[in-house]
Amino acid sequence: MRAKLEEIMSKVTIDTLEKLAFMFAFPCEGEEGEPSDSIAAGSVSFTGPFSGTLVMTISIEVLRELAANMLGLDDGEETTEDHRSDALKETMNVVCGNLLPAIAGDEVVFDIGVPGVLPADQEIKRGAGIPDAIEPSARVNLDLDEGQCVLFLFLDGEIPKDVVSP
Amino acid sequence: MAINILIVDDSGVMRSMILKTLRMTGVPLGNIHQAGNGREGLDILDEQWIDLAIVDINMPVMNGEEMIDRMHEDPEMKEIPVIVISTEGSKARIERLEHMGAAFIHKPFTAEIVRDTINSILGLGENDES
Repeated sequence: MRAKLEEIMSKVTIDTLEKLAFMFAFPCEGEEGEPSDSIAAGSVSFTGPFSGTLVMTISIEVLRELAANMLGLDDGEETTEDHRSDALKETMNVVCGNLLPAIAGDEVVFDIGVPGVLPADQEIKRGAGIPDAIEPSARVNLDLDEGQCVLFLFLDGEIPKDVVSP
Repeated sequence: MAINILIVDDSGVMRSMILKTLRMTGVPLGNIHQAGNGREGLDILDEQWIDLAIVDINMPVMNGEEMIDRMHEDPEMKEIPVIVISTEGSKARIERLEHMGAAFIHKPFTAEIVRDTINSILGLGENDES
């Protein structure tokens, strides 16, 4: 199940980054931890046939490029902190909105919460309100020209077998 | 004919993306108005001549579905075409929006999808473009 979740999560995120911001990401395997350079992080929770939280950490340089491309800024134009936060939240919203039907199909209904940016000075799980004991059910590392993007899917329990899309 | 469009989305970045995409579609654009939620969207519809509303669903204060409901209750607004641009993935919810008369575009979107949806909902032909 974990491998399937990670495959879907990787595909959905790569597709979202390409279509939202013309950014090309590639899976990189075997790396643990968070991106080594300065990062931003966000989370979005969802409820439905299964519930949980999607967390994204992203290199600051990737986030700058993401926000600039989403806004259609010209080279040399700077993004603001608000632009970058908004870009991260909107990207998480789109990834989560596409991930859940990719896992469970379009017959089921999920309610997706409001995405939030996590405090920079807090450990990610604590910032996202996820208990320490819960480990991610899936994790995807993506490489981009400007840095890394790492996604974690934390689930409240197991995914019922009957809701997984074939 | 230039089309006056209202974009309603709580994300400023997404509103900018939609505007950027509209400029790529070749659809003749008139005045573009922006609102951060359904309540603000209704206020603009009350004050401005709008030919098309592009509306997100999940927004604070007033969501897109409630905004469309309110539009249907107002004789001045009920005929305004609505396109919902959202991440919604549930077939039942999308069908409900379509039953309300809205066209649906899934995020992430392309300029071609936006162009084709606008042309379809406004009944524009190729001669009306550019």
